[in-house]
Order: sequence, then structure tokens, then C-alpha cells
Amino acid sequence: MTNIEIEGTKQTPAISFNASTGVLKLSGRSIPENTFEFFNPVLLWLDEYNLVAKDETIINVKLEYFNTSSSKYILEIFKRLKGILNDGKKVSVKWYYDEDDEEMMETGEDYQDVSGLPFEILVIED
Amino acid sequence: MNVYTRFKAMMDNHIILSFKGEITSDIVTMVLQIMESKLDAAQEKGTVKKKIFNILVECMQNLYHHAEPENEQERSIRSAMLELFFDNEFYYITTGNFIKSAEVPRLKDRIERVNAMEKDDLRKYYREILDNNIISNKGGADLGMIDMARKSGQKLEFEFNEVNEILSFFSLKVKIAKNN
Repeated sequence: MTNIEIEGTKQTPAISFNASTGVLKLSGRSIPENTFEFFNPVLLWLDEYNLVAKDETIINVKLEYFNTSSSKYILEIFKRLKGILNDGKKVSVKWYYDEDDEEMMETGEDYQDVSGLPFEILVIED
Repeated sequence: MNVYTRFKAMMDNHIILSFKGEITSDIVTMVLQIMESKLDAAQEKGTVKKKIFNILVECMQNLYHHAEPENEQERSIRSAMLELFFDNEFYYITTGNFIKSAEVPRLKDRIERVNAMEKDDLRKYYREILDNNIISNKGGADLGMIDMARKSGQKLEFEFNEVNEILSFFSLKVKIAKNN
């Protein structure tokens, strides 16, 4: 299957989902008005990936900030990954935050709690 | 026409940005750009800047999705207002827009519920709504209000003014402490 490579803009995050390595990356800012339009292809990709998922999938999340309508879709991404975990494969989340951005750290904890995925919450090293 | 008087009033009230009109996608980007450069110029702390940004985005997207036109004849004009100013203690983001009067009780309940909660309860409520609410493209005002209250760390101030039977004007003021 094909990979997703989307460059970040002022309104949308950079996305790099690689089906052959199982390494997924989501970074930047996510504040589009039309979140469905942006995230739906990503969710569909994950549905497809689910069928051919690597033994180990890692998602690196390094977001600067995002709006609340994106937050729902970010959870949806995690829920799709939870499905892969439930199939007996390894899935983990690396959630990065700026040292002084306590809220982004707390948001990571919120997602960890709600998604039920194994999380590592890490400070971004310069 | 005394522009100088109005200019001075804006200076005295420390108005950073004042906008009236339709909030479009381009306006959102532009306002954020303006704010970024103004806050950088003021050498504002990263944490405060991020809070202002987050709340501003949420406020503008509420206006983008929920502002009603002022009258039925001009369905296309969805005028709203956005203002940013500060004093010694706080930054303030205020918004104003028309909403359907029928929606006032529900919105009022939502804000009051959020305002009644302290930090930990807000967090619990946020997790609950994040997990349970149906995805809507409009983001769902629930999560937006909770998020703004969490990031602001202050109570949300609001007011409704009845315009006529159908429409009301909704004013919202969100505060961000400078010593965050």
C-alpha cells in the first residue's frame, strides 16, 4: 500500500505514515476549519493499514497546538491504532512536548488515559 | 469624525486588535499572524503566547461555525466581532456574534456548567466529552468551552442580549493571566 506524506501548513499538520516501516509521524499545528476533509483520508489509510500492519507500529506525535475539532480526530487515529493493538500487534505512542508547555504534556496524559494505548510522554530535545 | 479621539481611546484601552466582519478561513490565518508578530514584539512568554493562540483559534472557529447572519434578508453576511486587549494583569479575548435565541438556554447551561468546575473536574469532563461525543465538523461547542476554560484558568464571562424574537447577541470574554 502507499504511504502518506503531507507537508505541514499554517493550518494543517505534517503527516508521514509509512506502511512499510510502521513508523507514523504527526507534527506541527492542526487548526483547519474543515477537520473532516483533512483527517478523513488519514483515517481511511489507517483502516487499510490495519489489514497489513507491521508487527510493531510507532506513532510520533509532536504537535505545537491544535483546535478542539482536531482533537477528536487525533483520538480517532489512536482508536484505529488500538484496534491494531487488540489484534495482538505492538503499538506505541511517543508524545512529544516543549519543556515549558505543560498543557501539551497534560493533553498527552489525557490521550493516554482515553485511548488505552501505551504512551511515552517525552520532552522535545533541541 | 474624530479619528484622533478614537485612536487615543484604543491606545488607552490597550487594544491589540479589533475586528468586525465575517470570519473567514483567511481572516483566521491573518489574525494569528498579526498576533504572533505582536506578541513576539512584546516579548511575551511562550506559555502565555500559546494559551492566547489556542483560545483565539477556538474563539474564531466558534465565530466561523456558529455566527448567525444579522437578518434573514442577508443570509450571506455573518458579521461578528473579535477584540484583543490587555491590562497589567491579563490579556482579554472578547467575541460577539448573533445566535438564534432558541439556542441561548443550551449555550448558557454549557458555560455555567464549565464555570462551576475547578481544574481537576474540568479535566475529567474534558476526557469524558472527548471520548463520548460524536465527531462533528464544527468541533462541538462543548469541548471548545471546556478547552478555553482549562487554558484560561479563569471563569468565562458571558452575556446575552436579545435583539428580537429570533436573534440574540452573544458576548464572550476570556482572560489569560500574564504571569502564567
